[in-house]
Amino acid sequence: MGQNQAAHASSDDVSGEEEFDPIGTLTLIAIYFVILLLAWVYIYYIEFLGRDLVVVG
Amino acid sequence: MHIHAYEKLWLAASILLILLLIGSVTYGAVGPGVAMVSDSEPPIDAQALDEDDRFSEPRVEQVGDNEYVAYVVAYQFGFEPSPIVVPENSTVTFYVTSRDVIHGFEVAGTNANTMVVPGEVSKITVKTDDRQEYGLICNEYCGAGHHVMEGKVNVVSQAEFDERNSGGDDA
Repeated sequence: MGQNQAAHASSDDVSGEEEFDPIGTLTLIAIYFVILLLAWVYIYYIEFLGRDLVVVG
Repeated sequence: MHIHAYEKLWLAASILLILLLIGSVTYGAVGPGVAMVSDSEPPIDAQALDEDDRFSEPRVEQVGDNEYVAYVVAYQFGFEPSPIVVPENSTVTFYVTSRDVIHGFEVAGTNANTMVVPGEVSKITVKTDDRQEYGLICNEYCGAGHHVMEGKVNVVSQAEFDERNSGGDDA
């Protein structure tokens, strides 16, 4: 369906390019991205740097 | 070439993520001073540790103002000295070697963790915080008694550390 939409848009007119609007995919990726950010902040800054005996040399 | 607006968005987001990852590792190295286990120590003869200045008598020594070194020998199945006693709020450098097979040196629940290879000296420097008793475990399978190979790293108050050491000298 996405292909059809894209093909349709390109053959139809140039201004219709943004007709293909995968808002669901964008939302999903945004959610994954936020999870990734939070996980990284937790793992690196809280779990790793917050532990005792940080190796400094 | 036309790139969809959303595609630009998640390209930008992934570049941002990469910069964040590199940035936080750089911050860790520059800010808190996180470092790797040093590989600069020259090799030693694992069969002759009893003739080595540092390892013939595994011990903790003061080398500077609030700086200490701990010479530790790992063996099947334990660590010497046991326990390793170091003062609180100090900088401690562990020199760890093995007299038999490959061992691990992991202060449980902390970032102090290195492999211990016979003939090589693993050097890690850590900053101690408040008084605490840490477990010390071997995390490389080293033989039938691997699961019982453990030690202790005791971070004690300065007074207690001095007392122990002066007591040791008198004895």
